[in-house]
Amino acid sequence: MIWEVFRQEEPGDRHTHCGNVHAPDREMATLFAQVQHGRRMQTNSLWVAPKDEIGEVDADETEFGGTTDKSYRWAITYNNIDASFAEEVAESEADQEEHAEKRGGT
Amino acid sequence: MEPAEAELFRLADDELVLAERYTEWQIFAPTPESDLALANIAQDEFGHARLWYDLLEDEFGYDEADLVWERDPDDFVHSTLVELETPEGDWADTVVRGYLYDVAERLRLEALEDSSYAAIADRVAKVQGEEEYHREHAQSWLDRLTASDESRERVQAAVDRLFPHALTLFVPTEHEHDIVEAGVRTRSLAELREDWLDEVVPALESLDVEVPEPGAVVRPEPLGRDGSHTDDWFALHEEFTATYHELGFDEPAELRGENA
Repeated sequence: MIWEVFRQEEPGDRHTHCGNVHAPDREMATLFAQVQHGRRMQTNSLWVAPKDEIGEVDADETEFGGTTDKSYRWAITYNNIDASFAEEVAESEADQEEHAEKRGGT
Repeated sequence: MEPAEAELFRLADDELVLAERYTEWQIFAPTPESDLALANIAQDEFGHARLWYDLLEDEFGYDEADLVWERDPDDFVHSTLVELETPEGDWADTVVRGYLYDVAERLRLEALEDSSYAAIADRVAKVQGEEEYHREHAQSWLDRLTASDESRERVQAAVDRLFPHALTLFVPTEHEHDIVEAGVRTRSLAELREDWLDEVVPALESLDVEVPEPGAVVRPEPLGRDGSHTDDWFALHEEFTATYHELGFDEPAELRGENA
C-alpha cells in the first residue's frame, strides 16, 4: 500500500508533498516516513495519506480555467500603477503575470 | 579496571556489535522502507557506540585501535544476544532481537540517568532520544508479525532461540558490585533483569507468544559478558576487522574529529 507523504518544515508552514512510502498501515507509514522523508530535511511535521484516498482531476479530464478568453480575471490592466507601496499587491501581480505567461495568455 | 570503565565497555560493545548485525540487512530487508529504517537504526547504534568509546578514549586513555580494530575478540564484553548470526532471511529473528534488546537498553539507560559518573549521565539523554524510535519500530513489527499464524510461528521460534541469550544481557561481571556501589549505575543487573522480565514476558504473552520460564532456561555456555562468545562472534569480528588489517592502517580514518 502506498502512502503519500507531506512535509512541513516549520510550524505554520504548509505541508508540501515530498514523496511516498510503501507501508501496510498508517502507523508503519509514519515510522517509515520519519526515516525516509524527515531525517535529512528540516522537518517539523509529516502527514501520511493513503494514495487511494486522494482524489485527482487532471488537465486531460478538464480545462482548468475554461476555454474562452478570461483575461479580464487578471488584474494586469492596472500594471502601470506602481504597486511597490503594497508588497502583497506586487506579489499578486507578479504571480498573475507568471501564470498568464504559462497559460499562453496575455 | 574502574567501575565506569567496565560499564562503558558493556554499553559500547553491545551497541557496536548489534549495529554490525543490523547492517547485514542492508539491501536485503523485506522492503526498501524497512531497509532504510533498519539502516537508520544501525547508524544510530554505531553513533551510540562511538559516544561510549569516545569516553573510554577521553577518560581512560584508550585509542580507537585498542577499542575496536586491534582488541582481542575475547576481550569484548557484549551480550551473546547481539552477536548471533541471523538465520538466513529471518526477519522475525531481527525484530525479536531488536525488541528484547531495546527494552533492556531503555531500562539500562534509565538506570544511568543519575549516574554518579557525570560524563555518562550527560550522554544518556542523547541516546534515549533515538532509542525511542527503535522500540517503536521493534514493537510495531512484533505486533504485525504476530497477527498471522505463519509469522507468529517465526516469532515464536526466534523467542525460543534468542531468549536464553537475551538473559546474558544481565550477567554480572566481577565489576558489578563496584559499579552499583559507586553509583555509576543506580540499579543492579539483578533489578534490571526483574524489570525487563516484568515488561517483556507479559508483552510477548499478550501476543500469544510463549516465553520460556526464565528460571528453567539453560544458560548458553558462552556468556558474552566475561569475554566468552559463540563462534558467530569470532566470524563477525574477523569480517569487520578484515579491511582494517588488509589496508594496514596505522591509524583508521576518523569520521569525526570531535566528540559527537
